[in-house]
Amino acid sequence: MVQGLLALGVEAVGCAAFDAGIKGAFGYPGTPSTEGFEFVEAMIHAAPEGRVAHWAANEKVAYDLALGVSYAGHRTLVTMKHVGLNVAMDAYANSALTGVRGGLVLLVADDPGMHSSQNEQDSRRLAKFAWLPVLEPSTVQECYDFTHRAFELSEALQVPVMVRLVTRLAHCRAAVTRRETLAPTGLGVVPKENIQEWVLIPSNARGRYQDLLAKQPQMTAQLAPLNRLLPGTGKHGVVVAGMGRAYFDQLMLEHPTLTALPRLEIAAYPLDPSLETDLLNQVDDITIFEEGYPVMEERLRFRAPSRIHGRMDHTIPRTGELTPGMMKEALGLLTPEGKAATTLDIPIRAPRFCDGCGHVDAYQAMQEALQNLGVPETRVFGDIGCYTLAAQEPMGAIHAVVEMGASISMAVGAAMAGQTPSVAVIGDSTFGHSGLPALLTAADSGVNVTVMILDNRVVGMTGQQVSQALDQVERMVLGMGIPQSQVQTLTPLPKQHEANVKAVEAALLHPGPSVLIFRRECIQSMRRGVLKDHDREIKANSEKACCSEPAPVVTETRP
Amino acid sequence: MSDPRIHGIVLSGVGGQGVLSLAQIVLEALRRSGLHALQSEIHGMSQRGGSVHAMVCFSDVPLTSPIIDEGCADLLIALEPLEALRYISMLRMNGHLVVSEEPQVNMEGYPPIDDIYAALKAVRGAHLIDTEDLARKLSHKQAGGMALLGMASKFLPVTDEVWFDVIRQRFEAKGARVTEKNIEAFNAGRGLVQETVGA
Repeated sequence: MVQGLLALGVEAVGCAAFDAGIKGAFGYPGTPSTEGFEFVEAMIHAAPEGRVAHWAANEKVAYDLALGVSYAGHRTLVTMKHVGLNVAMDAYANSALTGVRGGLVLLVADDPGMHSSQNEQDSRRLAKFAWLPVLEPSTVQECYDFTHRAFELSEALQVPVMVRLVTRLAHCRAAVTRRETLAPTGLGVVPKENIQEWVLIPSNARGRYQDLLAKQPQMTAQLAPLNRLLPGTGKHGVVVAGMGRAYFDQLMLEHPTLTALPRLEIAAYPLDPSLETDLLNQVDDITIFEEGYPVMEERLRFRAPSRIHGRMDHTIPRTGELTPGMMKEALGLLTPEGKAATTLDIPIRAPRFCDGCGHVDAYQAMQEALQNLGVPETRVFGDIGCYTLAAQEPMGAIHAVVEMGASISMAVGAAMAGQTPSVAVIGDSTFGHSGLPALLTAADSGVNVTVMILDNRVVGMTGQQVSQALDQVERMVLGMGIPQSQVQTLTPLPKQHEANVKAVEAALLHPGPSVLIFRRECIQSMRRGVLKDHDREIKANSEKACCSEPAPVVTETRP
Repeated sequence: MSDPRIHGIVLSGVGGQGVLSLAQIVLEALRRSGLHALQSEIHGMSQRGGSVHAMVCFSDVPLTSPIIDEGCADLLIALEPLEALRYISMLRMNGHLVVSEEPQVNMEGYPPIDDIYAALKAVRGAHLIDTEDLARKLSHKQAGGMALLGMASKFLPVTDEVWFDVIRQRFEAKGARVTEKNIEAFNAGRGLVQETVGA
């Protein structure tokens, strides 16, 4: 009987962090990383004992929260998707110089194949860029075990340690054997004699950078047990890493002859180059199976350009997810013929707006207003969230989607360049994530830009987590300096359509920046009752407040 | 630990139909039957009516790859006929297909349903189930998934006892009535005559 917990790869990381005695877990939702935080959050809520789990406004904030916990002397986990690490990169790269006090583990879930992302960047490159260790598990059990190890390494090396997953592992569900749960224990805050290490003014930072570089051999030595060369026989070798390792392990079950191939197994970076030297000395040709960018491949190609096969010589397709099928083909293994694919033409069934979604009403009002003003061809800058679905035909309502928060800044930039009208569409959570500084600049610029904030009160796409901007959007907008006369809250419902169209028209015609907040709760979260308790409490409080003292008046912050 | 053969199940449907829940029931049932099992799922926007699939692999020996290759699946459980057709080539030559006849037309260019039925019926080892009719007979709107699972269970090394245990555990939070309705649907699917279609 196979025992243990059934968990996704990302959940196993969250579970291990809990068992390793973390004091705090932080993150920002993003597929395929979301469930990692949610799992540990649920564990912490069930048994807090001084632990805390909190979604942050964005990944950088999440990372800094974790760094603060580490400074205070406790173990901590921070989770994000690969593109989220771009947002947290300032914190991540500089925490390499400060180092950590309590163990800090960063879970990053990459998305090769772009199942639900805008690129397929490889976080191993970012770890290398920051001179920091990264562990790369290949099974759900390894997700659990490596996370424990990452905490130990983080404290031994006094640096943050990344655990890198990819979609297939992040969303692979399997049995996990857990260890005993450690109570969160503290090392105490950074001692006085070490404070300068955490103050990255240039005079300190220069020394810290030298320390970080000097620590590299120690990192390699500590990680060495996770990488190994199996000598085998023959003149053709393989390098397997991450899911490449998982797929190869299984291929060996089906094709036992593969076990004889000289094989370099990689699960941690930085690695000892002598492993590669030994393999290069033993074989003529090497095929690399790794998930994501050609990281190992470039290292080896640098040393023996003509003997290395992988993505760069198209033995494996240059982009997209690695599959066991691709590996079989590269290894010359045959797959028995299966059933024939249908000859019928099968169109793609793309995700679409839920029936009754408020975003659709908001977009319809926008499109009609642009039509009425005689500018239906206006290019609209969109952002990241469910409302990105409007980029698809037949709606075709947004014409650029780049990264979190880009909608507002791009619309301001285009307005500065003379585009009139210039429209941005952004969700409430994305607005809180990185729309705020963009809106500050929009207000300061004074250009004619219309910002539509589609406020569904939750992070809809990733599973309806409560938005950090919940019930705050008006105040946030006013606080950024948009005049109250140019801030309007609308209800995206069919019966409000005419009024909404008029409001959009007025905003488009206004010569300066204006913000339209379209607020209606996500119908998925409504169905699940995500905000039921919250709203009940708000209602009770406001009834109490109206009997005792007057409601606070929001004043105009800019003329 | 004698048979290292790796078995694969693909489950497909439309976001919101419960593909991932069904996959989790299958995974848990296989695991409780003493097998090593892995499940892979792709989601993110899955609630929003797009095409969704999950894979479950199992074996007597520990597995590490959650992905089933084209032409290697033993069983395809499809909650929607077009989503069955999309994954036909995942099946090995003598694999089985258990599919609901009920179309979900939430997209542009949905092919004529009779063409889809004809294509499905041409697949050897296909079992088409009129889940709409079954749901009506059982007065249970969501009977389809469990009925498909009941039919599919004929091809899986899991005892009734384990299936019922797993289904009970899955639905116990929703009350005894919901649980029994689901067991009833499972049994109804299992009891359907195994109509052999295809060449």
